[in-house]
Amino acid sequence: MNALTASAAIATGRVRLANVRQQSLVEAKIRVLLVAALFLLAGIAAFVRIFQLGLSGNAPERRSLSEALLPPRGEITDRNGVPLARAFPAYALWFNPRALGQNGSPLVKTPEEVAAALMQIFPDADYNDLLRRLKSDKPGYLRQRVMPEEANRVFALGEPALEFPRENQRYYPQGSLGAHVLGYVDSEGKGHVGMEQVLEKQLLDPVQRARPVALSIDMRVQGALEDELGRGMLETDAKGAAGVILDVDTGEVVALASLPSFNPNRSDRALNELVFNKVTNQVYELGSTFKPLSVAAAIDAGVITDLAARYPADRPLEIGGFRIRDSHYLGASLNVPEALIHSSNIVTAQVADKLGGVALKRTMAALGMNERPFIELPARGFPLWPKGEWPRITTMTVSYGHGIAVTPLHLAAAYAAMVNGGVWRPATLFKVDPAKAPEGRRVFKASTSARMRQLLRMIVVDGTGKSANAPGFRVGGKTGSAEKPGGRGGYNRTSLVATFAAAFPMDKPRYVVIAMLDEPKGTAATSYQRTAAWNAAPIVGRVVPRIGPLLGVVPDDTRDIDISDLSPLVGKGEKP
Amino acid sequence: MIATVNRLRTVGWLVLLALCLGLVLVTAFRVNALRSQIHRAEARIVALKQERLYLETEFETRSNQQQLKTWNDVEFGYAAPGAGQYLEGERALAALSVPARPDAPAPIRVASVDDSVIASSAFPAMVSPLSGKPQSTESARIAAADEDRDEPVQERAKAVETLSDRLGKVVDARPGGPVRKPTGAKVGPAGSGDDGKGRAAAAPAEKKGKPSEVAASPKTKPEKGAAPAGKPAVAEKPAAKPAKTAAATRPAKPKEARVTL
Repeated sequence: MNALTASAAIATGRVRLANVRQQSLVEAKIRVLLVAALFLLAGIAAFVRIFQLGLSGNAPERRSLSEALLPPRGEITDRNGVPLARAFPAYALWFNPRALGQNGSPLVKTPEEVAAALMQIFPDADYNDLLRRLKSDKPGYLRQRVMPEEANRVFALGEPALEFPRENQRYYPQGSLGAHVLGYVDSEGKGHVGMEQVLEKQLLDPVQRARPVALSIDMRVQGALEDELGRGMLETDAKGAAGVILDVDTGEVVALASLPSFNPNRSDRALNELVFNKVTNQVYELGSTFKPLSVAAAIDAGVITDLAARYPADRPLEIGGFRIRDSHYLGASLNVPEALIHSSNIVTAQVADKLGGVALKRTMAALGMNERPFIELPARGFPLWPKGEWPRITTMTVSYGHGIAVTPLHLAAAYAAMVNGGVWRPATLFKVDPAKAPEGRRVFKASTSARMRQLLRMIVVDGTGKSANAPGFRVGGKTGSAEKPGGRGGYNRTSLVATFAAAFPMDKPRYVVIAMLDEPKGTAATSYQRTAAWNAAPIVGRVVPRIGPLLGVVPDDTRDIDISDLSPLVGKGEKP
Repeated sequence: MIATVNRLRTVGWLVLLALCLGLVLVTAFRVNALRSQIHRAEARIVALKQERLYLETEFETRSNQQQLKTWNDVEFGYAAPGAGQYLEGERALAALSVPARPDAPAPIRVASVDDSVIASSAFPAMVSPLSGKPQSTESARIAAADEDRDEPVQERAKAVETLSDRLGKVVDARPGGPVRKPTGAKVGPAGSGDDGKGRAAAAPAEKKGKPSEVAASPKTKPEKGAAPAGKPAVAEKPAAKPAKTAAATRPAKPKEARVTL
């Protein structure tokens, strides 16, 4: 019994052990299989992923630092790196009628109250327009650009329907300063008018737009020029004013102003007649400012060999029924320095007559007066240029700036050529390395240029340009007061264009300054005079001391150009 | 026994595999952590740069030319500097201490003259730092006729030596010595009788004794009193030393000074 049970027990134990062994083996095999399958799966998954990545290249998106900081539109700076135009995430004011759900009024207060509150924040807004938008059911802009503090004040109104999305817009920190140079960008992101239009492609190019574009403009100089021009315009009650400052050696435009200006930050309002650029687009008969150019042409051609030679000036010059007269009686006879100092049309016309139309036309053409001005801006006016062979009368009138109409920029480039040693260079709005200035073309001999510098200085020391004589800056220049065409087929005696074309310092000219007033009136500030000696010349006299030190021209009372050889030719005070 | 070894080996491989896997995981985690840190840092840099751009733009807007002009009109009233506020260089600075003589020509240099050569050659070779006057009588004459261009033009290399060059020697040639006495004594009367600057410089000397005494008897001058006035005069030491006598000729001096530099 015992043995039986014992053997039975052993037998069952053995069987069980065998079973356990069998089971364990199977289990182990299954586990090995499972693990192998898992590894295989993982391997396959990894390979699949590798292939997938390798094939599609769809890596998780990561923007690099440079990409994140790349502006949507390139920045424009002045020559010193001051930003003039930049892409800027500005606030807009957006009206969202669905902000408080579908039903009910979108506003907490009445639209009238909200509109009145908005009027207090934005005084220049239109109340009725605001009210109409707030009452309408459509979402839309209430204002394209809002300053942060204005946004805070609107937020304080507690209207959830008034939202402030941040949008990338074009922003001009200097406001209306240099607006004609820069232009503006419309709501579709397209550049207009100035360099925004010219540089459109470059500013939007992903490769190039990371680097700011440096213009030749100096913002401080631009500010001074616009300020003084604006003051002169107000003082004389003029219709407009224009000014340009040009580097005589490189042709860089350091400042360019056309007043009244526009605000490029309000692109919705920028499209009006004010975007018209008076410096590069409007042509004027610039009058007596042409006289030095004609005299320079005559000296250069060897027609004037003796500056002491006198020309009759006692009666108007009659040529083919046309009378050339002076503004007032200047004397029985004048020599060339006196003619420039007192601005005599009669003598200049005689000089030009001696020179001849062919030579004068050639010089004027060499100065670029027969084509659109050289500048990058899209708006460039075509001069009124007498075509064909110039008859005597045309030669004579052109010599004192009538019968030819050019832009102030033409004049600036011509004056630069006249004082810089005689080389004409195209004007540019891009910063130029002084070592890489364009070669230009020679118009006058260096000796002629030196002589003209003396004569221009004499005009400011003794002549009509006295009020431009900024102490220490050795300014030289010429006034020009031209009657505007109009009236009965002739000239309008009451509306003038007053110009002063100057360069400084005359002992080594660096910059040309042109100031022009369109239809100045005689006011108390100008002693009731309308000519350039009273309104345009003082502008230059005030601008030069402000810009000189900024441009590296230091006032110096101990320097001047030597005019001692010409001074004896001019009768000081008494009329000849 | 063999099975145990085999199993041990397998377990060892597995442990090694697990260890590697663990290390890979740890490394991967670390890499990822670092990567996200970089990403965060980059995002922060971007945010800061944008904020800076924003602030810069705001600053530019608030300080734009028109705004500055308005402020200046209302608050400050600054005007553009005039010619009197500029000095062209050491020469102009030195010229301040020399009053123009009644018969002196107008100090206007005109552009038709290459004034750099004349200006530098007309400049006396050795100037007393006390009075701004040249040392010898001959150079005094030249300094007075500063603008006259008919004096003998010196050798260019010598002439262009500027005041700053010479002042630079003060530091180099400092070894103290009794040489300052003769220069101080010689310069005293010229300085005190000259102008405001000269007087101010000579003032310490006057405290101890009368200026005339100082001039008359250099030997009696106490060292202390001469010290403040004599200190800048050390510059002249290298020049004065080889010359010994006060009446040393002028052209010889800068040559000697040049050697010491």
